[in-house]
Amino acid sequence: MESNGMISFKIDAIAVTVEQGTTILEAAQQAGISIPTLCHHEALTPYGGCRLCIVEVARGDNRQIVSACAYAAEEGIRVKTATDRIIRLRRFIVGLLLAEAPQAKVLQELAEELGIRAPARFKPRNELCIACGRCIRACREIVGVSAIDFAKRGYEKQAAAPYFERSEDCIGCGTCYAICPTGAITLRDIAEGERFTQPDGSVVDGPARIIDNWKVNFEMKRCKECGEAFAPAFQLEYIKKKAQLADDFFDVCVNCRP
Amino acid sequence: MESFSRSTIDGFIKKYQNGTSSLIATLQDIQEACGYLSRDAIAYFSASAHVPLSKIYCIATFYRSFSLTPRGKNLVSVCLGTACHVKNGENILHKVGRDLGLEACEGTTDDRLFTLEKVRCMGCCSMAPVVRINDDTYGNLNQSAVPKLFAHYRKAEKE
Amino acid sequence: MKVSSVRDLEKLKAKGMATLCPDKIKIMVGMATCGQSMGAGAVFDAIAAGVKKNKINAVVKKTGCIGLCHEEPLVDVLLPGSPRLTYSRMNQEKVAALLEGLRNGAVIKGALGRMDEDEFLLGDTARPYKKGKVKKEILSVPAYKDLSFYKKQKKIALRNCGTIDPEDICEYIAKGGYFSLASILAKKSPEDVIAEVERSGLRGRGGAGFLTGRKWRICREAEGDEKYIICNADEGDPGAYMDRSLLEGDPHTVIEGMIIAGFAIGAQQGFMYVRAEYPLVLERLKKALKQAEGYGLLGKNIFNSGFSFTITISRGAGAFVCGEETALIKSIEGEWGEPRQRPPFPAQSGLWGKPTVINNVETFANVAPIMVRGASWFSSLGTKQSKGTKVFSLVGKVNRIGLVEVPMGTKLKQLIYDIGGGIPNGRALKAVQTGGPSGGCIPKELINLPVDYEVLAEAGSIMGSGGLIVMDDRTCMVDVAKYFVSFLADESCGKCTPCRVGIKRMKDLLEDITEGRGSREDLVLLENMADAIKESALCGLGKTAPNPVLSTLVYFKDEYLAHIKDKRCPAGVCKALITYTIDRKMCTGCGACVKVCPVSAIEGEKKQPHMIVAEKCIKCGACFEICPAEAVVK
Repeated sequence: MESNGMISFKIDAIAVTVEQGTTILEAAQQAGISIPTLCHHEALTPYGGCRLCIVEVARGDNRQIVSACAYAAEEGIRVKTATDRIIRLRRFIVGLLLAEAPQAKVLQELAEELGIRAPARFKPRNELCIACGRCIRACREIVGVSAIDFAKRGYEKQAAAPYFERSEDCIGCGTCYAICPTGAITLRDIAEGERFTQPDGSVVDGPARIIDNWKVNFEMKRCKECGEAFAPAFQLEYIKKKAQLADDFFDVCVNCRP
Repeated sequence: MESFSRSTIDGFIKKYQNGTSSLIATLQDIQEACGYLSRDAIAYFSASAHVPLSKIYCIATFYRSFSLTPRGKNLVSVCLGTACHVKNGENILHKVGRDLGLEACEGTTDDRLFTLEKVRCMGCCSMAPVVRINDDTYGNLNQSAVPKLFAHYRKAEKE
Repeated sequence: MKVSSVRDLEKLKAKGMATLCPDKIKIMVGMATCGQSMGAGAVFDAIAAGVKKNKINAVVKKTGCIGLCHEEPLVDVLLPGSPRLTYSRMNQEKVAALLEGLRNGAVIKGALGRMDEDEFLLGDTARPYKKGKVKKEILSVPAYKDLSFYKKQKKIALRNCGTIDPEDICEYIAKGGYFSLASILAKKSPEDVIAEVERSGLRGRGGAGFLTGRKWRICREAEGDEKYIICNADEGDPGAYMDRSLLEGDPHTVIEGMIIAGFAIGAQQGFMYVRAEYPLVLERLKKALKQAEGYGLLGKNIFNSGFSFTITISRGAGAFVCGEETALIKSIEGEWGEPRQRPPFPAQSGLWGKPTVINNVETFANVAPIMVRGASWFSSLGTKQSKGTKVFSLVGKVNRIGLVEVPMGTKLKQLIYDIGGGIPNGRALKAVQTGGPSGGCIPKELINLPVDYEVLAEAGSIMGSGGLIVMDDRTCMVDVAKYFVSFLADESCGKCTPCRVGIKRMKDLLEDITEGRGSREDLVLLENMADAIKESALCGLGKTAPNPVLSTLVYFKDEYLAHIKDKRCPAGVCKALITYTIDRKMCTGCGACVKVCPVSAIEGEKKQPHMIVAEKCIKCGACFEICPAEAVVK
């Protein structure tokens, strides 16, 4: 390693020099080399679970297949991002996921890029949650609420609110919905005058936000000025408390603020 | 009425907060004190120790030894380790399931007398197939020996 | 009393020797979990009560597993000046006979084996039990070293199990325990210790077989002052109970090994990660740690050397995956047991991000012997690449089920036939499974293979932690593959796609095959999936999960094909592919089957041949089990 904390190594044919601590994925992105990902998100800590970003790494005589997103680059390694072997394995992984969630657009796109179809031998599961953990990491790391986490292990592992019942901690910010790659989270904002019947039979009147997965619904706060329902009231209370803001801080929406 | 004693849980919370006891060890203590991870006890722990409930639920559903539902008075463990498997341990399991009226071969009987669980190896391979009820281990079993196992515990309950 | 010198240790040694080889009669009862589950507890109580009641001048002691599990409960009798005799399958009747014999000073008949001397492996000596003339009846009992079960064994890790009282640290010391630690702390440097362990060729006994000395060196050289030692006592392989027996029978050999390792790498704290399902281990360990702490052999300034070390017990909570190093670390940290990618390796960044050495129970048990007897001695045993001995749990379809320790290089054939006594009930050997769910099935044609890390890996299996499951012609190899894959599907943590989804889909395929819905294409798919999972899974659990499938596909293809083409299970195991019928010529009409049939699927008049109604039959096998005339066939 050079004394200035920089590391040099090779990705495919390209020689790169990056700061120590940079992952292979980050280095590849810097060098303009594209590696597919699924469970990774630049705003979150790496997970390394989906195994889509796998690459071959040669370190001296040692060869390994690793998740590029979770591997801190080392001096002198030789990385190959798209060998026949890697492509074969990516096809395998996407094929497995496609049988889990054939409706997921992101998987359909990946399948097309890789030139594969869903494996016919496997009965589709039609479960959109592929346990990538993005929603969980977002809720924990960005929002700081940890309303959801993984439940169960193995094939049944999925993101859930405790007891698979209504989450008491969710603030309805919708970050999980925004960050989910497969659309496994259903979030609806219903307007004034609309009404929605939840699976348990209870009825929610708009303006409200409903997140099916965590069985939550939130009344939306209206702007004192324009009357728009702009965010879940509960969420605003949470932010006010956490950031120690004045009680009337969110009475006026962002568009109406001076 | 709460299913747990606050002072007991407070003791565990103290150990958790000062680092002597990990989250898992604390949950193990709570389970031992309450017989299972009761919802009330967990909610109290979560609130007092500021541990997200979702995290506790994650750990409770990840590890097999935790039970979120009350267990029966007697714990029946059927060994399905490899040595027991090749000696027809599965047949014993199904027989136990039928006798206890538990079709899925796991769970607690309606009268809360027995909880049935499958275990992967108790290390008693020389007497395969093996069933353990509480602290008593029964080995070299065949299906016809099974009904007699429960008779003893049913009788003890009546007394 | 704090032990601060070898002289102090000698005092405790004398104390231990007095109870190890007392002047009075000594009765030892095997009280490990296997013994207790066969009734040893009641035997112990009965003997203790009988000795008291009859005022027999004897001491009754607990001991660990001596390995003869198929003969439990075991009781050893040591009459002063006489060889030690072992009595097997003890029950209340035999206990009464024993007490009678002791009262009358007569030699109790029926001993299984005789030990003429007490081996002190660390001191490379043996102390004869007998003094003067020995009665002929005693000499006629076969000597242990001549018993087929023991002849080919060499006990290093298990050296004290079955002889010492695991709840008495002084007996461990009497056998040379903790002298190694004293000598190291007084005269050796950490570098000396690492060099010796490296020279010995000791490899991890948990299954992966990584060179122990190298691991210690990497950790020693890692930056940081805060380092940890972890003992992996998670022993999750079904059918394997070596670590359990070691910890129940001789916890101090593991403790001493951990302290020495701590000294070598520069750690001050150690953890024992014990699986939830081993309550007796927890009990014995707590006692052992307390005793060691009481004597200052654990804690601050051990032997006045300036070196301090403590050990904390961490309990598992029921997850096989926590036997994997990085998942184990997370579990000690209190998190869910999800492994992470390596590098970084635990030796560089482990518990709480600090350099950590994780070794298996058996690995630690070998450390003191290596340091005392020397690396050359240890490496003189075994093969070129696999030094020393290995403990195996020899179970399944074998006559003499038990815990054995043999030099590496011993042939599987010798383990199964010479030591194990071959296959019971006149059946034929089909395969032997090693390495648990991470291993493979070795067919009978390869039974001459020696036990060696590389040889077993080449054959499509792994050494593993030591579970050795013997299978006969009534074992269905497709069912075995399905069994292991189902186990791993249950235990997968669910983090990575290849394992979480791949293993489940392999299980689905195997279920289809064993239930008559398989096709030839399935075998190709199964093999491709197995290869892909092996290459792309994140951790050792996923990477080795395909081994049972791949090895059975290689060696037992014909069985798979029978299930697929003929919809038949040749071994008669897979329920969907077998039919229970009653041979009318053999049936005596006794009706025993009717009584046990849970679904009333058997019809017939008294004393007339009975018949099973196929549509009702749920194939539970109860009738097959109970028929006295063996008239039920599958």
